[in-house]
Parts: sequence; structure tokens; C-alpha cells
Amino acid sequence: MYDWMKKIHMYAGLLTFTALVVWGLTGIHAVTLPPPGGYAPPEISSEREMPFVSPGDLDDKALARRIYEAAEIPLAGGHYNIHRNDDLNLAFFVFTANGRRDLTYFEERDAVRIEHRRNSLASFLSTMHSSHTRRGPRALPARMWGFYNELSTWAFLFMTLSGIYMWLVTRPGMRWAQASLAAVVGLSIMLWILSR
Amino acid sequence: MFQLMRNVHLALGLVFTTMAMIFALSSLVIIYRPWLNQSVEESERTVRLESDAASTPRALALALMRSENLAGTLTQVEQEPATIRFRIYRPGTEFRIEYARSTQEATIKTKRWGVLETLVQLHVNHGFWHELISVNAWSAFSLLSSIGLLLLGATGIYLWFVHHEERLIGGSLLAVGLIYGLTTLVLTRLA
Repeated sequence: MYDWMKKIHMYAGLLTFTALVVWGLTGIHAVTLPPPGGYAPPEISSEREMPFVSPGDLDDKALARRIYEAAEIPLAGGHYNIHRNDDLNLAFFVFTANGRRDLTYFEERDAVRIEHRRNSLASFLSTMHSSHTRRGPRALPARMWGFYNELSTWAFLFMTLSGIYMWLVTRPGMRWAQASLAAVVGLSIMLWILSR
Repeated sequence: MFQLMRNVHLALGLVFTTMAMIFALSSLVIIYRPWLNQSVEESERTVRLESDAASTPRALALALMRSENLAGTLTQVEQEPATIRFRIYRPGTEFRIEYARSTQEATIKTKRWGVLETLVQLHVNHGFWHELISVNAWSAFSLLSSIGLLLLGATGIYLWFVHHEERLIGGSLLAVGLIYGLTTLVLTRLA
């Protein structure tokens, strides 16, 4: 039993090593994230325009939806903050794993301006670390990553439990190990009670 | 060297056991949330506060934190001539407050999530700006666990590599994971 557990523990870790590294980096990057309300989007990295003629009988929300579909932005993950800007043009943004796109519709000249605010590699990895089989960009590579990420989550849970099992089977009497586990469990329970 | 690395791997694994469990279980909660029947306790009460205590939203929040024991981080402050609104949040619990200047009454709506959803909130908790020391401590714990995860990976690779008989299968699995993971990530980044 122990030999098999050790093998599977090792294989699971090796197969999911890439995801574990992405999670570790994302956790470190999270410290640099701003508090609620402090988010500032990245600078505009590129800009383009596309022609678009409004059907004329839609409200702003429906029109934004129509533009969102026509723009076919890669990895689009929803459109948000539909509003009229200072010049009364319809504006909204589209979330993507590679950074948001700000869309502005110039109705008089039948054109949509799309500004790309490309995010940092760390922000990209942060988005991807939360992808799974039912969540995340719908593009095929992103979906495939989602499957890998979900598999890695199960593998991670298994490795945590099998790691404890292997310790208890091979070296249960190690005092420092017992003390470490007791201390961390005690600390976690105390923090849980204090935060709840 | 092998024994040292084995002990380091064990020590890291034990020290970050609870955080690893929180990360793993909360991730599964996020993935399978539609299948889970999670309950949220909601309640509402009204308290009266003198207008002096509500001179600013922060002053009002502080007064309520003290008198009603609403510990947490102050967020989403909105102020209008007749009304003040804000939220006080901590993992697992949220208070939505609306204060009417005309009646000098604050309505406190409390939302209390169950254990599983609280795990998710601890998972995404980050930064050290929180007003509760325990929540900042969770953030620190989370950061250290992320560093620990990388070290666990590195020591794990070493421990595998010294097992000569496992190099072929292990190396193949590592290569498959790296090629698959990096290819899908790079293609997504380039999309």
C-alpha cells in the first residue's frame, strides 16, 4: 500500500508540476494586488476600429450585446459597465484573460473603437489559475488548460492527504514533525475563530 | 543530502497542511458550486445612532463596529445627502449598512456564509490592508504557503530524481505536464 501511495504521490506531483508552479506564482503575485476600489486598468497597448451599423431599434444594453458579438474578441469573458461616456457615446469593456478591451461606439460614423489594455504575464497567470472545465475562456487551448488545472486540483488534494499518510506510516514518532503539525493546526483553528 | 531534502519536503508539507487543504477544498467548491446546496444565513436589524456619530461614513462605521461588534474591513462606501451606505466584510460574514440621516437609524443586514464558502473567501483573501489582524494573518499564511508550494515542488523534483528506477516514467510524466501545460498557456496568451 505504502509503495503504491508513494508512486502515485510522485507521479501526481510530476504530472501537475506546471500547475503547481503557476499557483505558487499567482499566490505570491496576489500580495501586490490593490485593495477593493484601488484597481487601475493597464495602459492602452493597441487600438483598432471596426465598422458597425446600429439596427436603430435597440436599447443600450441590447446594442452593447450586439457589438460584443460582432467584435469577436478572442477569449472574451463577458461585457461589463455599459454606460454613456462624457461624449454620450455608448461604452463598455470586455474582460479577457489577456487584458480587457474598452469598446466605444461612435454612432454618427458607424464605427466601434476597440482599445486593448494588455495585462502583465502575472495577471494573465492569475486569471488562468482560476480556470477549470466549466469556467474560463472558451478558446480550445484555454479549455484544455482548464481540464489540466482541474485535474491538478484533485491531484493536489490527493498529495496533501497521501503526504500525511506516508509520514504517519514511515516516521510517525518524529517529535518536530508532530509539533509542526500540531502548531499549524492550532494556529489555523485560532485564526478561524478570530476571523469568524 | 537526500535525508535533508526529505525532511524539508516533510516539514513544508506539514507546516502548510491546513492552507493546502483550504486551497484544494475551496477550489473544488468553486468548480462544483452548482452541485452544492450551500445555505446563507441572512438577518436584519435596526439600531439608532446620534447624528454626531454619523458625521462621516468612517465615523459611523467605527461607531457601529464598537457598539454592534461588527468587526471587519470597511468597503464600498457611498454617501448621499440623506443616506450613507457601506459594507463591513470579513471572511464568511458581510454586514450591509444603510444609515438614514432623517431617522438617525442604521439598518444592518447580515449575511453569514457556511464553512465551504468561507474557505473560498479565505482562498481569495490577499493583501495586508485589512482592519482585522486575523485576516491579515490569513493573507500572510497564504503568501507563505504559495512560496512553500514552490519549494515543495522543487524538493519533490529532487526526491524523484534520486530514485533512478523512476526516472523514465517520472521524466515522461513531467515532460507531458510541462509540454501540455506550457503549450496551452502560451497558445492562450497568444490568442
